Amino acid sequence: MKIDCGHYPLMGGYDELLEAPGKPRPGADALCEFFSGLAADELDARHSAVDAAIMAAGITFTVYSEAGNIDRAWPFDVVPRIIDKLEWDQVAAGLKQRLKALNLFIDDIYHEQNIVKDGVFPAEVLADSKNFRAACVGANPPFGVWAHICGTDLVRDGDGTFYVLEDNLRVPSGVSYMLENRQLMKRLFPELFARYDVMPIDDYAAQLHDMLAALSPRPGDTPEIAVLTPGIYNSAYFEHSYLAQQMGAYLVEGSDLVVLDDDCVYMNTISGLTRLDVIYRRVDEEFIDPEVFRADSTLGVPGLMRAWKKGNVGIANSPGSGVADDKVVYSYVPDMIRYYLKEEAILPNVPSYLCMKEDDCEYVLANLDKLVVKPANESGGYGMLIGPKSTEDERKQFAELIRANPRNYMAQPTLSLSTVPTLCEDAIEPRHVDLRPFVLQSKDLYVTHGGLTRVALRRGSLVVNSSQGGGSKDTWIVRGER
Amino acid sequence: MMLARVAESLYWMARYLERAEDTARLINATTMLVMDMPRGASFGWEDLLKVVGLDEPFHALYDEASETAVMSFLIQDERNSSSIFACVRHARENTRTFREVLPRESWEWVNELYLYTSTHLGHALDRRTRYEVLTEIIRRRQAVVGLLSGTMSRDEGFQFMRLGRNLERADMTSRVLDVSYAINLPYQNGQAALNIAMPDMIWMSVLHALSAHQMYRRHVDVHARGHKVLAYLLNDLQFPRSVRHCLHEIQFSLDELPGAEPMRRLQGMLNLVDEADYRKLASDGLHEFCDDIESRLADLNVVIAQTFFRAADTQKLSQSQFNLI
Repeated sequence: MKIDCGHYPLMGGYDELLEAPGKPRPGADALCEFFSGLAADELDARHSAVDAAIMAAGITFTVYSEAGNIDRAWPFDVVPRIIDKLEWDQVAAGLKQRLKALNLFIDDIYHEQNIVKDGVFPAEVLADSKNFRAACVGANPPFGVWAHICGTDLVRDGDGTFYVLEDNLRVPSGVSYMLENRQLMKRLFPELFARYDVMPIDDYAAQLHDMLAALSPRPGDTPEIAVLTPGIYNSAYFEHSYLAQQMGAYLVEGSDLVVLDDDCVYMNTISGLTRLDVIYRRVDEEFIDPEVFRADSTLGVPGLMRAWKKGNVGIANSPGSGVADDKVVYSYVPDMIRYYLKEEAILPNVPSYLCMKEDDCEYVLANLDKLVVKPANESGGYGMLIGPKSTEDERKQFAELIRANPRNYMAQPTLSLSTVPTLCEDAIEPRHVDLRPFVLQSKDLYVTHGGLTRVALRRGSLVVNSSQGGGSKDTWIVRGER
Repeated sequence: MMLARVAESLYWMARYLERAEDTARLINATTMLVMDMPRGASFGWEDLLKVVGLDEPFHALYDEASETAVMSFLIQDERNSSSIFACVRHARENTRTFREVLPRESWEWVNELYLYTSTHLGHALDRRTRYEVLTEIIRRRQAVVGLLSGTMSRDEGFQFMRLGRNLERADMTSRVLDVSYAINLPYQNGQAALNIAMPDMIWMSVLHALSAHQMYRRHVDVHARGHKVLAYLLNDLQFPRSVRHCLHEIQFSLDELPGAEPMRRLQGMLNLVDEADYRKLASDGLHEFCDDIESRLADLNVVIAQTFFRAADTQKLSQSQFNLI
């Protein structure tokens, strides 16, 4: 196969690399020139080299399915996505602003609830929240920060504007794939990096480490930091071990830890018990402490919440931060920014219809064929209705679900997601993408240069989740043109 | 400080990889030996199963110890947890759980060993391609050992792998000695014949099975004499597959780790191989001697687990009596 940017079947929406067939956007010309200049066999050879490298590195993710869990190689597309640094700086400022406001919101919700008293955030939304944790009321995590790691999903609409699709504040994943994608690109297309001034991303592990270290209850000492994983059968296990390795941290399972009578957390080591200072939690909060949350959990540590509330261990993200990771709460984020920061949101939300509001609900029910309906509390693209692609039966089923539990549903217009040229079976074709940057906050705020670009590999598909046939691309934040 | 669970996984990962390589070497040596056997010699695939201590599990699954059945069982049968495939797979799964403590390439190399093994093992069933495939597995496993040796700090993780590797290796050496000795050849008539004229060939095959023939010839004798072979494989300090050498490696690792009990047990074993009368053993009592070594190794395995992998259990039970670190 040979790439021909002149015969590129644009889909009508916003394409990030080409304005028209054969006409690259400013900054993408060197990229198009490079790929068009690759001989067919050369391109095939590099493509197979990518696949071999992924298999050898064992970069996999697990798909939960009826046929059992399958370890699949990570699907990676070789054409990078390019974003200009000046544009990115604006987006990064917007992401920081958003996480700051979200953390002020969470801290407020578990203390005075001023935002509710002042009538900005409805009490009934809070009352219905599945992710509000009574056990967290009154807790004081360091710096008043609860959500330390946020994976914010961004999309571009038809005119190229970035919108926030959702804020993942529970256990956002994907950052290891972002880092691996860059490694793969460097190994396989070194000459491309000579043509572009690409912002490096590999300081993420150090940033994550410093963010976590700042949460240590024993400042001054070198803190003992561990990544808490549900274990090898979790779909993101690769990432858990990867991050522990990159940070030089322990990778622990619940059974490695114990909370003693002094309300401190200890690890089982070869010489007995050693105190642990900070936990990067990759276990859902419902499972972390059977004494407080799900009693049947074997993934957690009895007494962990006690230790955390006493300030004897730092946990990221703090238990309870999921209260702000909810597609209904999402629609109030611009109000939060105004309320807490006295600023206007830099990054817009996608217009959202909340089924809990009567008018919105009627509109949603009348326009099911045009909207994307999402349950408030699911992640991973499960339980969604994509209106334009749905059948009559599916719409009927969703209408019933919404009427039965309006609080649990919200809807958004189907955006014409932007596309990026992607190497398909026998040609280069446009495929829809989103972008998940990662934002860190404890003592300081940090945003990754770019993020994980996920691609819907099926033609016309809008679903980018890896569990549903999505792939990924390397994302380049590029400084000026050389 | 190393997590107890990680230490245990490292220890077993090293044991499994060693077992896979030792089994591959043993099969290669046996395949060569079988072709040298005089007509009527009764050494067969059944004996190979006894060497690795798997004759009972084998017969629970297969009827007859034909070459095909034994090869399939030892090489690729997943129901046999000591088959080469099962060992490599197990080592790979273990490696996945502690990628954070090993140099990055080690996971890739272990994973590649697994991928090679899973796609090529079928060819090891066939005599014509067996040698090539098993040798490639040995080569790839050795690459992993070399990588770790060249890139990994001599930290606790390294020590646990060295413990596992050498414990497994010492056990294999003892078992090969024990059973190869009992092989029956037609010109061997009971104990009497054995005492006087244990043929060179049998002892040479023992050396082959442990990849020791070349070093033995170079350092000891061009002829394989019983007592010399025994002394070489049990008590030589320099040959890396001798029991004594393995015990010394274990000693170096224990020196770097906390806890005194494993060292005490080890000392007992060192004395045993040091004080043995190899001339006498060559004619009598080898089976009991090897049994003793194997049970002491099993015992050491238990003590290592109690000392390092379950250290916190004891501590939690009597929390007040210990000073926490």
